[in-house]
Amino acid sequence: MAPSISHLNLENSERKKRRKTGDELRDPNTETRWKSESQQRIYSTKLVEALRHVRQNSLPTSKSPSGREIRHAADRVLAVAAKGRTRWSRAILASRLSLRLANSRKHRKAKPGKVTGCSRLKRPEKKRSLPAVQKKVKVLGRLVPGCRKVSFPNLLEEATDYIAALEMQVRAMTALTELLTGAPVDRLGPSSDL
Amino acid sequence: MTVLERQRARAKWQQQEQQSYFGGSEFGGLFLEPSQAVQGNFQGLVGGVDSVLGEVAAVLVKPDLSLESGLPEFGRFELSNMGFGSDALINGSTTGFHINSPTSMTSGCPPTVAAVAPEERGKVSVPAEKKSSVAGRESFKKRKADKVQNTKVGAEEDTKDKKSKVSAEEGESKITTEQTSTKNNSSATNNRETSADTSKENSKASEVQKPDYIHVRARRGQATDSHSLAERVRREKISERMKYLQDLVPGCNKITGKAGMLDEIINYVQSLQRQVEFLSMKLAAVNPRLDFNIEDFFSKELFPACSTGFPTTGMSSEMTNPAYLQFNPVQQLVSCCGLEMGMNTPDMAFRRTMSAPLSLPETYLDTSYITQLQPSSTWDADLQNLLNLEFHQGRSTSYASQQLTGSIEASNLKMEI
Repeated sequence: MAPSISHLNLENSERKKRRKTGDELRDPNTETRWKSESQQRIYSTKLVEALRHVRQNSLPTSKSPSGREIRHAADRVLAVAAKGRTRWSRAILASRLSLRLANSRKHRKAKPGKVTGCSRLKRPEKKRSLPAVQKKVKVLGRLVPGCRKVSFPNLLEEATDYIAALEMQVRAMTALTELLTGAPVDRLGPSSDL
Repeated sequence: MTVLERQRARAKWQQQEQQSYFGGSEFGGLFLEPSQAVQGNFQGLVGGVDSVLGEVAAVLVKPDLSLESGLPEFGRFELSNMGFGSDALINGSTTGFHINSPTSMTSGCPPTVAAVAPEERGKVSVPAEKKSSVAGRESFKKRKADKVQNTKVGAEEDTKDKKSKVSAEEGESKITTEQTSTKNNSSATNNRETSADTSKENSKASEVQKPDYIHVRARRGQATDSHSLAERVRREKISERMKYLQDLVPGCNKITGKAGMLDEIINYVQSLQRQVEFLSMKLAAVNPRLDFNIEDFFSKELFPACSTGFPTTGMSSEMTNPAYLQFNPVQQLVSCCGLEMGMNTPDMAFRRTMSAPLSLPETYLDTSYITQLQPSSTWDADLQNLLNLEFHQGRSTSYASQQLTGSIEASNLKMEI
């Protein structure tokens, strides 16, 4: 009895005081979260819906939906499936919404990153963040949506969840494509065309 | 034992109090290394103290740091003892330990603990210096074992290991559960070893299950200032997450080192994203046939007899709908949209797309479009089933392709009607 009680208490306090990206891995385990059948079912359902809507949206202009739109729709569905627990999912949803709202204005912020990059080259800047690890951390931060300025351990956690989610997304889309085209799709391996 | 019962009741009450108290604050995870004096005394503590008490003890331990740092706050000291399941009962048994009325202690606990909280963090290193604290900790962990022998052993252990560290919480809950198995172990050495082992195991992870404060103990022979301790915590956090990633990314087992691992991770993420793009392009190409095929799949699979004849009776609403739609495109579109809207409630983004179809009716009598609008509810489930099959078995769709060719003809027939 006692161990279970303490365990319960631990869990409760964990959930109450969850940090932002703190206990994602420990709460529902990332592996099981994105690999469970129910999750896949949910995702594929929503994906099909989304694809239909994309198609309906593009129909007025009678153009077939571009790959990019489909990809955005798939990412959006994936972010929804993440239930907002992770930073990247929130970033995807936020960016999509804001892009849609600001679509007419074609509002694009100037990219300060480029500017500072150039100025760094010109200035005899002392070599900060030269360590290879730091550079790679930055690259990874750019790959995972919404995680550019996230601390390293949190970034790793986000990346873990993101990778699991991406894997599920690939599986879902592959299955859907196979279903529709009636032919098996070549799965790209991780080390394929590089 | 009435004493024990009282103690347990008190511990549980403490716990509840703590939880309510600490609900908002960042308290829960704290636990302090008990002070030296306390350490020696805990050994005698409680047989059969629940891990609940241990947890309580852990939480209440905070005050101990202040004690350790020399604050003459005896109240807190006693509090910590209380926390440790101080079986205040065992007042007499503990040597040199004066716990008076535990109840009074507990009441005073939360506010003092709160005050202590900020101090503690800086004093993480302090306990490391105190050997007895280590011993006390372990002795505390071992409290389920023979108390008497523990008391004797405690002193010895002080000198032996400084190895442990780790989130007391984790350690304790694990250890207390383990200790139940060693409860009956009478040999002090065994206790010591098991506790040492468990503490060693737990020493690797410095993360507390209650997240907010992380208690680390310096290992033997390692730097003990707060900076290096904090860094060790950070490093262990990072390595723990890298291990997760290693499991996730294929082919990373051989690679050691952060840089190489990061390279692999980046490559993998890039390849996954490329795969998604490739698949989305493929889906875009396939898309015009999206609803066609789905409908045909469904019709073919579920109504193999009816695919060519289109009898209106005995068919699902899907099959009748095309006819309907052709006659009342606008109304049907609206109703179908309504259906779809109902299904899409969870998704805000999708709702926006709902408005689009409503504007289409005027321009569209396109049969392909009309077939699109068949209520998705009925065939979505089947599509999902199909998708799930694909998911899990990854089987080829030769079966599907046969259906496709057959059903396409059927659909063409349908279109012409």
